[in-house]
Amino acid sequence: MRRCRPLLGTYVEIDCKSADAVAAGFAAIERIHTMMSAHAQSSEISNVNRFAHLAPVAVSDDTAKVLRRALDWSRASNGVFDIARAGGRALTNGDLPRHDGQPFPDPGADWTVIQLDAGAVSLATKACLDLGGIAKGYAVDAAVDAMRAQGADAGLVNAGGDMRGFGPRTWRVAVAEPWTRRGLVELDLADHALATSAGLRGSDGLSFAHLDVCGDEWRSVTVCAPCACDADALTKIVWALGHRSSGLLAAAGSHAFAIGVQGSIEPIGSEALAA
Amino acid sequence: MHRRTLVKILPFAALAIAVPGNATVYLTVEQAQSVMFPHQRLTPVFRELQAAEIEAIKKASGTAPLSKQLQAWRAQDGGWFILDRVVGKHEFITYAVAITPQGTVRDVEILDYRETYGGEVRNPNWRQQFVGKRFGAPLQIDKDIKNISGATLSSRHVTDGVRRLLATYQLVLARA
Repeated sequence: MRRCRPLLGTYVEIDCKSADAVAAGFAAIERIHTMMSAHAQSSEISNVNRFAHLAPVAVSDDTAKVLRRALDWSRASNGVFDIARAGGRALTNGDLPRHDGQPFPDPGADWTVIQLDAGAVSLATKACLDLGGIAKGYAVDAAVDAMRAQGADAGLVNAGGDMRGFGPRTWRVAVAEPWTRRGLVELDLADHALATSAGLRGSDGLSFAHLDVCGDEWRSVTVCAPCACDADALTKIVWALGHRSSGLLAAAGSHAFAIGVQGSIEPIGSEALAA
Repeated sequence: MHRRTLVKILPFAALAIAVPGNATVYLTVEQAQSVMFPHQRLTPVFRELQAAEIEAIKKASGTAPLSKQLQAWRAQDGGWFILDRVVGKHEFITYAVAITPQGTVRDVEILDYRETYGGEVRNPNWRQQFVGKRFGAPLQIDKDIKNISGATLSSRHVTDGVRRLLATYQLVLARA
């Protein structure tokens, strides 16, 4: 069975023999969406953005996990991946709404103002966090967990190009040139996650400040990683750091390639082509 | 090493071939109904929207219906199943909305999704790079690539459509 529902701001497809597992996967994604969308006034992340500069805000295990992973990637990338700067920019650009009681973020607020302690988040200063660059991948992982818990032995979850397959089979995937949507690369995905980011505007978890962005040469970056959460975050880091991201990719058991403006395929990281 | 089996990058043949995956049928109307209203009998309530109704729907929701034909089914519990289409710049989507007896949106399901881009692959330059690399699997032209990774598509058109159907429910169906 294959269903598709509009969630996480995109179209989410789940493919699995078991209808119950498909339903469980969607339920998991809806749950993550409800908690982590900065567009919704009462989501956990919006509560953090409204109140965590005043007092610690309790969050669910899921939100705490995503925040922890986002901070890991911020640390590892020296702030290239930064949910606070991305959120501040998204708010300024009008890509995110400012909710009742939500302060304007301090211009200097970056990932280092986020403190996560025993399931509660504090902000050292006013900041606007946006999980848009990592929560979609996390939601895919959560769906896979839910489907497995439901007894599914194989399936694929695809949230607008952030996808993960599991079980003893492979899934044929086309990676498309983002502007034309023409398929350029064909992959067989098995028990692995894949995410593609294109250099489009919007809130994407990435801070472009003080970076020489590779966006002039590349149309998109695709990362293959063990989990979708990491694949999602890594696409932004690879996009910004280019070949300097090789070490981070390798440490995460991942590899990547970029689609160039001329349609070329450029491997990134030493293992990029170890097929 | 294990990774060998995980991901294989293989280029398409450089011949012009259609990328097929861009039209996808997920569910028939009957399947969507049984997913959204399991074990309930649905009664069709089809009707043509009047010009004044269309105007009111547009005013309330910001978008006008594509079609004058309203395809709605009433569920036994008082909920509604509404079938609709939206057209984006590059996509054509059939979807259904489940509305609760209280008049709130409970569920949205995509029935089919078609992209209107051309889908040819013809780029010998990039393919050249793969010559001599370790791509074990033979080239294939797969006729059934269902899964596409690219730039994330926005679901905004469907979100707008759902808002319009909620207005349609309030202005037309709830008053019937």
